[in-house]
Amino acid sequence: MSKKNGETKYVPTEFQFYAPKEKQSIGQFLHNSKDGTYLGRTPKSWAQLLTFYAIFYVVLAGLFTICMQGLFSTLDEKEPRWKLDKSLIGTNPGLGFRPISDDTQRGSVIQFDTKVDGEKNYWIKLLNDFMKSYNDSQHTGKVCSFNQTHNPEDVCTVDIEQFGSCSPKNAYGYNNSRPCVFLKLNKIYDWVPQYYDNPADLPEDMPAQLKEHIKAVPEHERQQVWVSCNGNNAQDQEEFGTVKYYPAQGFPAYYYPYLNQQNYLSPLIAVQFEQLPVNKMINIECRAWAKNIIYNGSIRDRQGSVTFQIFID
Amino acid sequence: MSRSDFEHGRADSYRVATVVPTDDDNLTADGHYKTKRKMPAKGAKKENLDDLKQELDIDYHKITPEELYQRFQTHPENGLSHAKAKENLERDGPNALTPPKQTPEWVKFCKNLFGGFAMLLWIGAILCFVAYSIQASTSEEPSDDNLYLGIVLSAVVIVTGIFSYYQESKSSKIMESFKNMVPQFATVIREGEKLTLRAEDLVLGDVVEVKFGDRIPADIRIIEARTFKVDNSSLTGESEPQSRGPEFTHENPLETKNLAFFSTNAVEGTAKGVVISCGDHTVMGRIAGLASGLDTGETPIAKEIHHFIHLITGVAVFLGVTFFVIAFILGYHWLDAVIFLIGIIVANVPEGLLATVTVCLTLTAKRMASKNCLVKNLEAVETLGSTSTICSDKTGTLTQNRMTVAHMWFDNQIIEADTTEDQSGVQYDRTSPGFKALSRIATLCNRAEFKGGQEGVPILKKEVSGDASEAALLKCMELALGDVMNIRKRNKKLAEIPFNSTNKYQVSIHETEDPSDPRYLLVMKGAPERILERCSTIFINGKEKVLDEEMKEAFNNAYMELGGLGERVLGFCDYMLPSDKYPTGFKFNVDDVNFPIDNLRFVGLMSMIDPPRAAVPDAVAKCRSAGIKVIMVTGDHPITAKAIAKSVGIISEGNETVEDIAQRLNIPVSEVNPREAKAAVVHGAELRDVSSDQLDEILRYHTEIVFARTSPQQKLIIVEGCQRMGAIVAVTGDGVNDSPALKKADIGVAMGIAGSDVSKQAADMILLDDNFASIVTGVEEGRLIFDNLKKSIAYTLTSNIPEISPFLAFILCDIPLPLGTVTILCIDLGTDMVPAISLAYEQAESDIMKRQPRDPYRDNLVNRRLISMAYGQIGMIQAAAGFFVYFVIMAENGFLPLTLFGIRKMWDSKAVNDLTDSYGQEWTYRDRKTLEYTCHTAFFVSIVVVQWADLIICKTRRNSIFQQGMRNWALNFGLVFETILAAFLSYCPGMEKGLRMYPLKLVWWFPAIPFMLAIFIYDETRRFYLRRNPGGWLEQETYY
Repeated sequence: MSKKNGETKYVPTEFQFYAPKEKQSIGQFLHNSKDGTYLGRTPKSWAQLLTFYAIFYVVLAGLFTICMQGLFSTLDEKEPRWKLDKSLIGTNPGLGFRPISDDTQRGSVIQFDTKVDGEKNYWIKLLNDFMKSYNDSQHTGKVCSFNQTHNPEDVCTVDIEQFGSCSPKNAYGYNNSRPCVFLKLNKIYDWVPQYYDNPADLPEDMPAQLKEHIKAVPEHERQQVWVSCNGNNAQDQEEFGTVKYYPAQGFPAYYYPYLNQQNYLSPLIAVQFEQLPVNKMINIECRAWAKNIIYNGSIRDRQGSVTFQIFID
Repeated sequence: MSRSDFEHGRADSYRVATVVPTDDDNLTADGHYKTKRKMPAKGAKKENLDDLKQELDIDYHKITPEELYQRFQTHPENGLSHAKAKENLERDGPNALTPPKQTPEWVKFCKNLFGGFAMLLWIGAILCFVAYSIQASTSEEPSDDNLYLGIVLSAVVIVTGIFSYYQESKSSKIMESFKNMVPQFATVIREGEKLTLRAEDLVLGDVVEVKFGDRIPADIRIIEARTFKVDNSSLTGESEPQSRGPEFTHENPLETKNLAFFSTNAVEGTAKGVVISCGDHTVMGRIAGLASGLDTGETPIAKEIHHFIHLITGVAVFLGVTFFVIAFILGYHWLDAVIFLIGIIVANVPEGLLATVTVCLTLTAKRMASKNCLVKNLEAVETLGSTSTICSDKTGTLTQNRMTVAHMWFDNQIIEADTTEDQSGVQYDRTSPGFKALSRIATLCNRAEFKGGQEGVPILKKEVSGDASEAALLKCMELALGDVMNIRKRNKKLAEIPFNSTNKYQVSIHETEDPSDPRYLLVMKGAPERILERCSTIFINGKEKVLDEEMKEAFNNAYMELGGLGERVLGFCDYMLPSDKYPTGFKFNVDDVNFPIDNLRFVGLMSMIDPPRAAVPDAVAKCRSAGIKVIMVTGDHPITAKAIAKSVGIISEGNETVEDIAQRLNIPVSEVNPREAKAAVVHGAELRDVSSDQLDEILRYHTEIVFARTSPQQKLIIVEGCQRMGAIVAVTGDGVNDSPALKKADIGVAMGIAGSDVSKQAADMILLDDNFASIVTGVEEGRLIFDNLKKSIAYTLTSNIPEISPFLAFILCDIPLPLGTVTILCIDLGTDMVPAISLAYEQAESDIMKRQPRDPYRDNLVNRRLISMAYGQIGMIQAAAGFFVYFVIMAENGFLPLTLFGIRKMWDSKAVNDLTDSYGQEWTYRDRKTLEYTCHTAFFVSIVVVQWADLIICKTRRNSIFQQGMRNWALNFGLVFETILAAFLSYCPGMEKGLRMYPLKLVWWFPAIPFMLAIFIYDETRRFYLRRNPGGWLEQETYY
């Protein structure tokens, strides 16, 4: 065809329409020998991309580390940043109990058959492990009593000889269907209990047994966080039987406040259930009593108390 | 007369009169393909086209009237009997178009309820209910968290479903307003009685009477007519009113004179006819049926959204299943694994995103509606933005749809008249004797009159009763001389021979306004060559000269020139009747002409055209620079089409067609290489014989194309051709004949004023002002919303990483959960929503009309780079911010980071009432959970803080924020809003019960700030390099 030159401004071009992408098979996607691509990219492109991301994440990790360092620089090793009301832990300690299964699926149930060694030994071993740190610290702390003046930094020893029939020698009562459960009040940094030390000024809902007990305690020893256990509901209470508290029915004042002292161990109260029915799940609630412990027994919002279940086959 | 004109059946008198026969060979594509023209059109393209062809097979126009009456058992005077009419009505149903099949409302609703991400969320909700019921049956005190989450998830799905359904039905309601609610009535003769019936009740064989101004109630065979004319423009695209009478003139039912079609308008005269087809069987009904039967396919944005949903769903399912399996391997209880699965699904799905997209599209649709683009289908908002080819109708869209005098020839020179809509063009001398004589003829030899009650309306916009050319003359004269009616009164008309197609002229005789002159004035206008034949002198510069060969040559040149401009030319002459032969009171007889109609005085020519709208050339140029190919597809004559195409820039200056080149080089058309011509004018007749390959070639190698004389099928073929080439096609049209193409197009644009109902039905968008320039607005808005949707999605997806990563860490590192499902929903459906929507208001970064249309195959809404940016980069920084805040709160309350790893089982066990932290403090279950939920809240707040920066960086994809500015007040409001909402959720009393969100210390808002700044600085830097190194590696990998 004759090409006419001269005044033609426009070289005849075709209009650019967009064409669909070529279809790729999976094999081609994995490795396309024509373009030299693996998974849609050439090795060089992969290297560039990976380098970019490597640098990016290293820098990001650096930033994160700097921030974390900044965080650690504001923290004290011994004292939490926020305490009591300022912290989310608040000022309302709960109660803890031992033995507790290390399998969280089993929840708070203590189930055993006195005739099956394996079952009761499971709990005895848990308690032995728990008591180990108490055994070890028998000579590091100070033996305290209500008569002494108490320095807040002092650590008072928990005397493990005082647990009576709940002692390790008695296998914590697990051999004879009179199991012991150890209670401890949650440690909260700098928390000081306000004691019910006046028998005339006790809350209405306090069990009569405890009221009687407080009256019986010598006045200078009434500086205690009292504890009471009972069945969780009416039916449980009916079959609950009697309990014994070792060494006493309260946590003595000289253990408080907790200031993250070295070798500090929570005071313990061993509760021995003496007449539990067999082959029946008993739901037990133990409650701590102090003026600044608020109690809530609801399932979701339990405060100032603990529940656990005992089932003896 | 030109053979081609006969063949195409446009035997309309004026046009034929004005076309110079020789022009056809030189100036149109016809000449080139003349040899092919006679070939039968048995291309049998597609099924639907065959279907459309069937309508041509009727023979009602061929048979004698007697046979017709017999066939329908009717009578020309008495009509049908009532019994027969009733019987027919029962047999055929009402005479109305079946509305296109509507999807039932409940199906639409269900689509919204189960489409998109809804399915994934339903699965999440069902898993929640399953987990809850298992917990409820096995445990005495089930936590109702799962029940609660299941209800929330179901509520989210249902509410977003209802919302999109509402949006959808709202936009379809707009259409309802367009439906013609006024019932049509028809005058029918039954049993010899004239009845007025609703048009729906007409039946086959009914004898109906129609008069000017009526809509033809059904397809009718005319049996009697008085100066009857119909406007077939909505059916054929032919803008001329066509006369109709009882005589059979053409094989083709669309061309024959004795048929008038349903839904066309009678513009003049009266007629009586027999109904030959009703409702869906009418020509109109068939085309409407063809249109509704066409498969339209998905809109580009719907494709993009599906692509995106698949991508996200894929990621969600992959992660969910992977971690479900990992959880099993790690020895989690299967119920826990299910709960992880729920968490991962909830974190992965951007619950609010589809609603955001809908709202963004709605906002744009509203904005477009305020600019005269009414969008019927929300998704079509974006389609115009993707459009790469516009097939535009000519009449009414590119032009004003109003014949206007464009040129005059008198005193041997061509004068240009002002054709602009607002009379801003050049003015001409109105004092010369030549003009005075010409204007007198144009004023007097004219039957057109302004309709009453239009006092305030500008002259050019006034409605006129009468023929389009005469109306043009009337308006031109009204503008030049003032009150035309008054002039006519002063020059009383005594006799008149109206225009007819055999004479091709119109004559009238008037008294003159000069009382001292007793002579009568004869004025005549008509086809120029016919007028010239009747003249012996010519009026030049105030003097009457003999019409010699030289003057004839001058006349011919002027005539050719104006004809070549595609204009309709009329010749004007006059004669002062000598008072001795025609004294005062002479009785002129028009039937047996008793006055001279030869040897008259030639005065001049006037030419008319339907001029382009003022804004169109600019709009076409904008489309060009936006990389959009503008193709004119018109039913009009090639010369006119080409002239208009040239004047609006569809054929740009300096570009030649094959014929132009042939003429310039003086070689036969067949010797020209078609590829040398950038422009092409393709005649419908030649298109009929073109194979799809040849059509592809035309579309590919000519950048500027005009298709003239096209039929509805051919419009469809052109649209399909463009789509085959990979173009996204917009079609504009107003007639029923356009509706198949409108439907087939990716976006059909109908005309709000001139458009027929069927075309509006088939279209996706309606131009309320019928102006092509509005399309450019639409393109601009469409492109902007696509960009802004990208930004909005980038913004929303980014927060997915800080939402998913807590779950992954929870499973893999055994730490207490840093962010809960409820807080995730608070982000997705709360704080992220308003900012994401506000990005729809973002200004364009650069001139979006200067770039090419997007490549629908490669330039996706959500692409690899966007995911890489959102997930791989910004999202990671955000996750780091969230985890940092989490560690800060944990550490400050007692749990140092290292103690957290592996603590999860104890942490989540209700039995453990004394969990020890790094300071020996012991936490009850309740206090731990308070701490955990506070962490969730803080993680949530820190996402809000980093999303501030994300929102600001998402404002631009390339520019710096300092170039873009913060003038988007919706977005600024979004920033404030999300902050206030976050504060509200954290501090409002009762939130700890309802949403498990706890008040934060003020200082816990700050740990995220370094990361917020990091996002901002990182992205500003990235964009700085993008601008510095266009096309560089960073752009290839991170420019979304």
